[in-house]
Parts: sequence; C-alpha cells; structure tokens
Amino acid sequence: MSDVLAEAVDAGRVFGDGDARVVALEHATCAIARGDRIALVGPSGSGKSTLLHLLASLDEPTSGVVRWPALGDKSTLRPSRISFVFQSESLLAPLTVLENIEVPRLLAGIRADVARGEASEILAALDLTALADKLPEEISGGQAQRAAVARSLVTRPDLILADEPTGQLDHAAANRLLDLLEERLKGTTTALVIATHDPAVAARMTTTWTIHHGVLT
Amino acid sequence: MSAITLWLEGLVRRRAGRMMPAVLGVTLTVSLLAILGIFINASASTMTQRALGDVAVDWQIQIVPGADTAAVIKQLRSGAKVRTADMVGYANVTGFRATTGGTTQTTGAGKVLGIIPTYWKDFPAELRPMLGATEGVLIAQQTAANLHVAVGDSLSVIRTGMPPVKARVDGVIDLPQADALFQAIGVPPGASPQAPPDNVVVVPMATWHSWFDAPGVPQSAAAQMELHVRLDHTLPQDPGNAFVFVQRLARNFEARTAGSAIVGDNLAARLDGVREDALYARVLFLFLGLPGAILAMILTIAVSGTGGDRRRREQALLRVRGATTSAIIRLESLEGIVVAVLAALLAVIVTWLITRQMVAIAVGQRQTIIVMAIAVAVGIGTALGAVVAPAWRETRESSVRLGRSRIGREQSPFWERTWIDVILLIVAGGVYWRTAASGYQIVLAPEGVAQTSVSYGAFLAPLALWIGVGLLVTRLFRHGLTHGRSFLTWLVRPIAGGLAPIVAASASRQARLVTRGVVLVTLAFSFAVSTAVFNTTYNTQSAVDAALTNGSDVTVTGTTAYPAGPLLDGISKVAGVRAARAMMHRFAYVGSDLQDIYGIDPVAIADATDLSNAFFASNDAAGTMRLLASRHDGVLLSQETVNDFQLHLGDLVTLRVQSAKDHQYHAVAFHFIGVVREFPTAPKDSFILCNADYLAEVTGDPTREVVLIRGSVPPEQVAAAIRPVVAPLPGVRVSDLGSVMRAISSSLTAVDLHGLTWIELSYAILLIAAASGLVLGLGLIERRRDFALLAAMGASGRQIGSFLWTEGLMILISGMILGFATGFAIAKMLVKVLTGVFDPPPQSLTIPWVYLAVLILAGCASTILAVTIARTINRRQAIQALRTI
Repeated sequence: MSDVLAEAVDAGRVFGDGDARVVALEHATCAIARGDRIALVGPSGSGKSTLLHLLASLDEPTSGVVRWPALGDKSTLRPSRISFVFQSESLLAPLTVLENIEVPRLLAGIRADVARGEASEILAALDLTALADKLPEEISGGQAQRAAVARSLVTRPDLILADEPTGQLDHAAANRLLDLLEERLKGTTTALVIATHDPAVAARMTTTWTIHHGVLT
Repeated sequence: MSAITLWLEGLVRRRAGRMMPAVLGVTLTVSLLAILGIFINASASTMTQRALGDVAVDWQIQIVPGADTAAVIKQLRSGAKVRTADMVGYANVTGFRATTGGTTQTTGAGKVLGIIPTYWKDFPAELRPMLGATEGVLIAQQTAANLHVAVGDSLSVIRTGMPPVKARVDGVIDLPQADALFQAIGVPPGASPQAPPDNVVVVPMATWHSWFDAPGVPQSAAAQMELHVRLDHTLPQDPGNAFVFVQRLARNFEARTAGSAIVGDNLAARLDGVREDALYARVLFLFLGLPGAILAMILTIAVSGTGGDRRRREQALLRVRGATTSAIIRLESLEGIVVAVLAALLAVIVTWLITRQMVAIAVGQRQTIIVMAIAVAVGIGTALGAVVAPAWRETRESSVRLGRSRIGREQSPFWERTWIDVILLIVAGGVYWRTAASGYQIVLAPEGVAQTSVSYGAFLAPLALWIGVGLLVTRLFRHGLTHGRSFLTWLVRPIAGGLAPIVAASASRQARLVTRGVVLVTLAFSFAVSTAVFNTTYNTQSAVDAALTNGSDVTVTGTTAYPAGPLLDGISKVAGVRAARAMMHRFAYVGSDLQDIYGIDPVAIADATDLSNAFFASNDAAGTMRLLASRHDGVLLSQETVNDFQLHLGDLVTLRVQSAKDHQYHAVAFHFIGVVREFPTAPKDSFILCNADYLAEVTGDPTREVVLIRGSVPPEQVAAAIRPVVAPLPGVRVSDLGSVMRAISSSLTAVDLHGLTWIELSYAILLIAAASGLVLGLGLIERRRDFALLAAMGASGRQIGSFLWTEGLMILISGMILGFATGFAIAKMLVKVLTGVFDPPPQSLTIPWVYLAVLILAGCASTILAVTIARTINRRQAIQALRTI
C-alpha cells in the first residue's frame, strides 16, 4: 500500500482567458506522505490556495495531474479521507457549532445519534463544549476557527489541508490553534499541510514548500 | 473620475444581472398601476360616451303657456352649447275615430304631436318608420291597430272642446322612446312614472298649429310646445362629473328663463343611472387590481432584500475606508435610481403595448400622463425604498459585525406582541358578517342627487383578511419552524434522508427567510385565486344575465300590432329549432304601479327556455310551474309587490289589464300563488307572471307577442335562419344569446371585466412565478457560500439538493395550500361585498379549474426552475465562492 496520500505531477491551473487570463499555478509537482507536517509558504496571491484546492479535489487542474494513491477513488476523498480548513470563518451560518461538527459525519452516512456523540466528544476534547449551542455569528473569530478545526478532525481524516487557518488570528490565538492541531494529531499518521505566510507557523512544521508566482519550489 | 461615476459604471457593467429582478419587480408594479388607471379612465369615458349615445333627446324643454318662445330659445343658445333645437307641439285629444270595413272604431284619449320636417334627421331615435311615408299624418302602430286603419285610410281627430278634424293616414310609425317622449316634465323626483299614451298621431307642425293654436281656433290648455334639444357632447369624461355638469347647466338655464321653461333633462337622467356603474367599475378595477400592484411592490422589496448580504459587505468596506453615512446612502441610491429609470422605461413600453390592444377609446392625454406620472412615482419610491431603506438601516447598525448577522435569535416584532394579525382577522370576520347580514350596497348614487358615495369601509373585510393571513402565516411559520424542529425533521426526512436533522435545523434557523417565502407565495396565490374565482363568477353571472335578458337561445319579439305568436308554426319548422314557445307580454296596473305581465303556458314554457330554481322564492321552478298550471287564475308576483301590498299566498289580487274590446284597463281578479324573482325577458324590477289562457280570456285578446326558441345549433345560426321567416312582420326583432351577452358585457349596466381579467390573470401568474421562483432562487444563490462549504465538506449533489428542495417545496406547498384557502375566502367576501355588480346575485362561486391548474403548474415550474438554476450556479461558482472563504 502506497504511503503517498496525494501528489501533483506537473499540475497547473489557469483561470479565465484572453486579457483576463490568470496563471495561478504552473508545473507544480509534489507529494504528501502519511504523517507529513508541511508548511506551504508564499506571499498572498502566490497560488497556495489553488494548490491546496487541487490537492483536496475541490478544483481540477487545467494541466498535469493530481492523484491520491493511498486514498482510493476521487469520489470518496471527502468528507472522510481529506479535511479542509479555510482561512476565514467557514462554519455554516444556520447551524450551531455542534451541528456544524456533525455535518461531515452525516454527509458520510453516519447515523444521527452516532454523529452527535462523536461531535460532542471532539468538542469536549478541544474544550469547546461551552460553544456547542452557539451560532457562528455568536462566537469570536478564534473560537470559530477552533470549531472549524474540530470539524476537520471529527472524521479522523488521513490528510488535513489548512488554508491559512491562523491568518485572521492574533499571535496567541494562532499558537493555541496550532497547539490544538498538533496535540490531536500526535501519534496519528494523519498528514497536515498548512498554507501560511507566517514564518513562525512554518517553523512548527517539519517540511516547507515555497511557492512564488504560481511556481512551487 | 468621481466616486459616484465610478460606482455607477461598476453597477451598470458588473451588477446589471443582479439588478434585473428588481427592475422587473418595479416594472410589474408601475405597469399594473398604470394599466389600472388607464382602464379606470377609459371605462368611465366609455360609459359616458355610451350614455350620451343612448339619449334620443338631451333636453325636452316645456315652454310655459304664454311665455316668449323666442326669448327662451335665445337664453338656451346663450347659456349652453346647442347643436340642435326643434319645436314640437303636444296636444291632448279626446280620442281618434276611424271607419273601416263597415265598422267604426273609437279610441280613448290620445295625443297629437306636431313636428318640423327636419325632426326625423335631428332626432332619429325618436321615430321609426314602419309603413308608408315619413311625412304627413303618421299614426303610431298600436293606434293603427286599435283603429284598424292602414296607410291611405282616413281618421278623425276628436279635439277637446273643438269639432273633430279629418286626416288621411300617410304612414305608420313606431315610437321607440315613447316613455321619454311623453314624460311629465316638472314632476317631483320619485313620482310614479306614467304610462305613455296608447294612441298617438304625429303631424307636420303647420297642420298641428292649424288644428290647435291657429288664430281663431280656441286656445286649448291641453296644447303646449316643447323644445327638443341636442347639446354639444363635450362633457367631463367621468359620468358623475358629466351628470353634475349637465344638471347645473339645466338649472342655470331654468333660472335665466325665470319660470318660462322647465327642462326635462333626459341627458342628466341617463348619466345619473350610469354613475353607480362607473363607481362600481372604479371599485372593481381598484380592488381587483390594487392588491396585485401592492404584491409586486412587496416582491420587489423581497427581491432586493436577497442582495442584502452583498450590500452589507460593500457598506462595511466603504465604512472601513471612511465613507460617511450620507456618502454610502448616495452611492446606494444610485442603484435605486438605475433600477427606477430602467423599470419606468420598461413599464411605459409594456403599458403602451397592452393598453393599445385593449382600450378602444381614445383616453384623454392629460389623464394618461397623470396616471403614468403617479405610477412612475410609486415605482421610483418602491425602487428607492427597496434599495436605500435597507442601506440606511444598515448604516444605523452599531457595528459591522451586527450588520452581517443574518440568522439571529430575534425578538418578536411589535405586531406579533400586540396580536395585530388576530385582531385583523377578527375585524375581517366582523365586517364581513355585518356586510353579509345587512346586504347594503357599497356604492350609493341616489337618483337626482349630485353626491355619490362609495363605502370603502366594506373592503376592510377582504383587506384585513389578506393582511391578517399574511401576518398570521408569518407568526405560525416563524414559531413553528423555530420550535417544531422534531416535526420538521420528520417532515423533511423523505427528501433529506439521513441529513434530515441538519436540513431541519438549517430551515429552522432560517425561519425568517423561509417564512418570507411562504408569506409571499401565500399572498401571490391568494391574489391569483381570489381574482380568478371572482372574475369567473362575474362572467358566469353575465351569461345568466344574458340568458335572462334574451329569454332563450333566440327570441323573436313582435309588437302589440304585429305579434310574433302567429308565426310560431313557421318558426318551429326552421332547421336548428329544437323547441319554440310563444308567450304574451302586456302591461297591468297593480294599484297605481304599471308592471309588465307575462302570460305563459306553464307546462310547456321550459321546453324553450331554462327556468332556474333561483327564479322563484320557492326555489322549485318545476313545482311552481305545476302549481300555476293547476290554478287557472293563479298569478306570481315580485317580492316587492308582495311587501308593498302585504299579500299572503292564496289572496285574491285585483289587477287592471287592457281589454281588446275598448282598449281601456279593467279590473280582473287573480289568485296570488307565489313569488317570482326572475323570468326570461322580464325586467329586473317588478313584473307579473300568469297563465296565458287566463290572460287571453280576461283581455279578449289571445295574441302572443314573444316567441322563445331553443336551438340545436349555435344561437347565431338559428337567429339567421329565423330572420327570413319573420321578416314580413313590421317591427319584429330577432335576438340571439351571443349578441345579447356581448351587449350586456359591454353595456352600461355591467362593467366589462374581460380586459382587466386578462391583465390581472397574466400578472397573477407572473407574481406567482416571481414569488415562488425568483425570490427562492435569488435567496438560494445568495447563500452559495454555504453550499460551497457543504461541497467542500464532501456533500454530493444530491445531498446539497436536499437542502434546496426542502426549502423550495416547503415554501411552495405551504404557500399554495394557504394561498388557495385564503383566495377562496377573499373571493367569497368580494362576491358578498360587491353583490351590487351581480345581476342576478350568484348562488355559489364559479371555479376556474383550468386557470387554477395553470397557477399550480406555474408555481411548481418556477420552484423547479429556481432550484435547478440555483444548483447549477452554485456548482459552477463553487470555486469562486470557496476562494472568498
């Protein structure tokens, strides 16, 4: 069984055409193995999000290929195998924090009572039980990001792709969030890729990929 | 480039598609209001014009004996715009005598009119030639029948207090407007109308003068002059205003002639009768159309509201960059202005295209401009209100974060805490009960009185019901969705499956959005259903009215002198005639009241015409006919007569009917056996129904004037086939159901709803499509970020679809059920409130099944389309939406 969870081979992504043509990513080749801790660094607009979207199968490359050798068919990647954490508040507005965390499990076909139990468990583990019945608009940005991380963990995924999860948090809150992630992933083979332009965040990862003007180095 | 120019360019180049729904909403509002206004004006104008066309002589000015006729004419021409004024001589005579075929006939009292040669041309509707010449001595057809004279025969005019004069009959004429021609001028309003004289001879004015007021001839008080006047018909368009104008003109003239002349104001009398119809027309147009315009406004605001999140983000950015509240409002107003300008242009084009097709009469340009200006002003107000008001409210929010809130756990609004919805429903019930119980007329135009009144208060019932239901639905759904999560989860499980708890939670937290959708769909369906049911009921009653007016599929109406009855055999043999029955139509006095009396064969009459149970107080047409057949001298009277004379079943009633022997009215005994409300060809007010055999027996005249025919082919074809058979009969009239219906539906006694119906029903479908499709679709598209998140979490297309379908179906099905129920209730109320426009009043509502099915289809199609488009857009723009997260 392959250890490569996801890989991009000469992958590119172009948006628009004519004068509006934007090359977001070109000739990107990379691989993510089990247990990896990767920081994807680069300035804003360098193509970090585009690469993560391709690796999460949220988008299709316009050139090259993206594969998931250890995760099987593309259609089964989410919600169980790959989780995605967005850079800004990404909770579903009409649902409480607890319900937001239940969603990936329900989407995976898990029974409602089981999903509720798992969601409650992860909230307790992350010390977020007090927020369970709050609506996203009733909690702070930092709390919302912690809830989003909880949602990404509830499925016990093989790969977590986090797109600047600390981008809108202050230094202390960002550290708490990363501590939380590291603690939950300790002892697991779950790989973590964090896109960031913060050197402090990158320094906590074991590998750093740099991307500039859509070119991965 | 200024901020405003930059913003405007951005709006036009990048937000054009987003503004289009609001543009369409305002276009609907403006065009519906404008079309309604133009229809109201056109309807009033049509009524006035038709009223003017119906009047044979506008004014009959009686000149007081001894007055200076030349001075009166001078005053007339100086005070009013007169097109024609002819002198007519009126003389009462003791009778007429003629000897023909070896017998001498003498009539009772009669009248001799003197006319000038141009009278025929000046007032063509007064006299109708039948036989012989149109000059010389002309005899009315009934008088000719009474005297047994024909053209060329001689007759004697028996003058009062003077020797008889002899004359030779040059022609036989009909006097179609005899009631007005021989009216008593100057009698107080409300006096009983008098029957026109049975015996009339019309002679040239020179002859009349030589007989009645020539020098040397003793002046008779029974001879007097009238001035028949045709006025210039440039009058106010509205019948009420025209009535007041003409009435004041007549009074002014009478005042200036200082008692020398009295005006018989036929024109004002005719306009007087139309005023009520015009008011009903206005009320109908307003009440059936205005809710549509209000709904279009609400929809526009709702459609604009779906862009609230986008606007909030834009405003937050502007505020962050230091824009003041007034600067933000100015920039947001630009969108409102662009929407208003585009919508006004579109609405003018739509209005022009529709009214051009439907309003035949030229509408006064000034009034059209006023109507359009008002409609456009409302449209601009709606556009600005829909865009600027929320923007202003947003700027008042304490923080950007609060402004972004779209779910919330909000406090109950004021109306909900004060139970205004329930109060409105109680008010609706109370007003309806009062209206239904008292049966009062909401439109009052008392005869001869300039003031008119419309009891708009009666409309409080349907209006309060409409608003009350809207608010109650809001209350029930907001609370139901918020607190009834378990039930909701159970309800959505067939669509959402395992996601039911989350889908239900989502719908529950978005109770405000879902409720808004349900309320809009409810109001749209209730408007469409109530309008359609009312209009269909109205049109059905028009058909019943036409059937009553015409009497049967085809009716042949003869005259006393030339009755149609003798042609019954010939008519029965015409191809396409299934059954033909003849009946008598005479007059009889009930006390001093002259009423139409119909002599029928009760056993056979139903072969040729439809007798509804509702025609009789017993609600049993067949039973009543059997009863009449069993009682030879039985008589059916109207309820009004029964009340006036305090009659009871079985009472002996004495009527006075005209004897064929002496042409005088004689008392005849009948037995009162029942109450008749309506009967084919009978007038709307009081009339009498009896056995034809008995009437023939007591009058000595078995002739039957009217033949009712039931056809086996379309009435127009039967009528065409019958016309050659009855052509030899002078003065005979053949009418068919189709042409009578067309005449009724466009006559003064009924308001033509067809044009309005077409517009309203079309707009209703658009409003339903907008309510169930546009608002839903835009709302779903607006939430594409949530759906993109779901997709990012791994939701399949079917799973995302369950969120969309649950919301769409919940709104559609709830709105449709509630809308249908409310629509029927409002239609029932409208029919009760507007009973005055129905003649006869309907016994039940008529349901337009096909149209209602179209409404359901429109709602379903809009919802399916909205969800499908939302799914497609959400899928296509998922990446774009994800990049904003």
